[in-house]
Amino acid sequence: MTAPSPARYRRGVAALAALTLAASATACTNSTADQDTVRVGLLVSLSGTYTTVGEDMQRGFKLYLDTHGGQLGGRTVELVVGDEGDGPATAVPAAQKLLERDQVVALTGLVGGATVDKVQTLTTDRKIPLIGANARPAFAPVGGKPRDLSYTWHTSYNSDEPGIAIASYIKSQVGDGTVYAIGPDYQGGWDELRGFTDTFTKLGGKLANPDGKATFTPFPATENFLPYLNKAAEAKPKAVYTFYAGAAAVGFVKQYRQSDLKDVPLYAAGFLTEGSVLTAQGAAATGIHNVLNYSPTLGNAANQDFVAAWSAKHSGQPTTFAMASYDAAAVLDRALAAVDGEVTGPKLNEAIGKVGRVVSPRGDWQFHPTEHRPVQRWYLREVKPDGPVLSNVLVQDLTTLPTT
Amino acid sequence: MRVDAYLMSAVDGIAYGLLLAIAAAGLTVSFGAGGVLNLAHGTLIALGGYVAAAISTGTWASLAAAVALATVAGAAGGGVLAAATARLRGRRGHLDQALLTLGIALIGADLLTIAFGPDVLRPQLPTALDGTATVAGHRYPVDRLAVLGIAVLIAAAGYVVLHHTRAGRLVWATVDDRAMVAGIGVNPAVVDATVLVAAGALAGVAGALTTPILGVGPGTAETTLLLSLVIVVCGGLGSVPGAVIAAVGVGVVQTVGVIAVPALAPYLLIAAMAVVLLARVSPLQGEVGS
Repeated sequence: MTAPSPARYRRGVAALAALTLAASATACTNSTADQDTVRVGLLVSLSGTYTTVGEDMQRGFKLYLDTHGGQLGGRTVELVVGDEGDGPATAVPAAQKLLERDQVVALTGLVGGATVDKVQTLTTDRKIPLIGANARPAFAPVGGKPRDLSYTWHTSYNSDEPGIAIASYIKSQVGDGTVYAIGPDYQGGWDELRGFTDTFTKLGGKLANPDGKATFTPFPATENFLPYLNKAAEAKPKAVYTFYAGAAAVGFVKQYRQSDLKDVPLYAAGFLTEGSVLTAQGAAATGIHNVLNYSPTLGNAANQDFVAAWSAKHSGQPTTFAMASYDAAAVLDRALAAVDGEVTGPKLNEAIGKVGRVVSPRGDWQFHPTEHRPVQRWYLREVKPDGPVLSNVLVQDLTTLPTT
Repeated sequence: MRVDAYLMSAVDGIAYGLLLAIAAAGLTVSFGAGGVLNLAHGTLIALGGYVAAAISTGTWASLAAAVALATVAGAAGGGVLAAATARLRGRRGHLDQALLTLGIALIGADLLTIAFGPDVLRPQLPTALDGTATVAGHRYPVDRLAVLGIAVLIAAAGYVVLHHTRAGRLVWATVDDRAMVAGIGVNPAVVDATVLVAAGALAGVAGALTTPILGVGPGTAETTLLLSLVIVVCGGLGSVPGAVIAAVGVGVVQTVGVIAVPALAPYLLIAAMAVVLLARVSPLQGEVGS
């Protein structure tokens, strides 16, 4: 899941108010924190379009806490949860509350790119580390000055990386054939598709799209993909590359199998078939090759423990969203262990910069020294039955990104 | 080859348009005939969709039960709205009705999300409907063909009931002159309530029919309400034939239009609506005064 578009769907105020009340009630009853207790803020979408992703991230973080005795770095953690909703309109007040009222030492979670963009300035002003576990936007300059990213970390990826990672594999599969690129018309879609089209054309690949550029469908208004798919079929591509997430991913995959493109191989950024959407897509998703930084079928020991602990608590398989949030807890665990005495934002931030290699279900990774996001492996996965359920089964390693 | 591709999209546009027509028919009838500006209409469509998605398990019997129960659920929702808006009739005007139904829509949408979760749901269809058929050398989903057929039947039935039966004439009469209807021994309040229940049933069945194709989720209520409003405004308030024509127009704009001029895809629908409203000097056939 990458940077969602601005909030589109109005929602009930009541649910939000109730959540905020519940969150602040938790905070008030536990305000007697001593030095061995730290308060960590988790800001995720618990209402709105991205609820499923937000809940996954909350589960991932809590799973780490639960499997580590509720402690990070030898300190008892008091987790204060805020609702990000559909974007900055709900997320900024929630973040302000976490930072000012609850005085959290670190803020994590954050589903949407637009949220990260706004909240990042709040945390940086207060010298509180932000450990984002999902979207990482481009961070446009504010007031002509480049952003100060020294307090901003991500355990996820950049939105263009899936496309970059899979481009050379797709080139090797299609040979001299062309690839049709299609995605949703918003920032996340542009980034995901650009990663693929730029890298693919640099490798000598040709796009099947009529104007040689990726095709974008209105987002989130497009529910009927059939006209686009049948038009794409006219170009007779050897393969199709796409990125969609959430509800659009379900519609796209179902209708792909009903269109003239049915038998053309479909490649995608892994979000197309990640998590609950895969259940909804069902058999229509079988055979889709996709790229992501995680697969629940990875063989390493950390992943086996992670999947076992997850399965004991939740139905379904863990997602990259849950995994990245689990890793955010792991990063905090190591960083907090390195802080002596009272935990402050600057001390914690410095410790995060020195966590080194993080043992993770995705395979070990470390922060890029200047980009503050993981240097990690990317994997090719194929949707097929894994026991009784459909899963994104590991096919092979692709590459490690970022390369510089 | 080019024309051929547009032809398939045009067929798809008509199927999609007829689906929208059923969705909008309930709204246009409840406004034109029942006199209620029902902003909870989309919520009733979503309710029908959720009920259908929850009940349909891939057998023909469950599919029939799903459509029937979605219709009943929609009708029940229409009944609730009828009871709620009955007191607001007349003096209080359309704005109060709009506010009340908007409130019901917001609460209803949240309750649906709490009950069915935040994911987009789709019903399981019998395998015969889940495949594709070959039409003029192209693949086309069988479920859409089935929906196309059912939509034609419902649109025709709606037209006949509203324009060629005693019940339909009573509805129009209630709009025109409530006292006269009371004078011939029919309680106009009963007619109002019946229209809202029937409109709710239409919304429920529309929800059930659209779910296999578009799914049903937290955004469904708003999307369908917006599309229905566009159709009702373009087609003329209260006009069933107008709604059908406008809906097919919307369907074709959203299928043929978006691939013919992809650069304008996000604006095509609203632009088409503006053109229709500016160009329409006289009401479409069948329109009644509001």
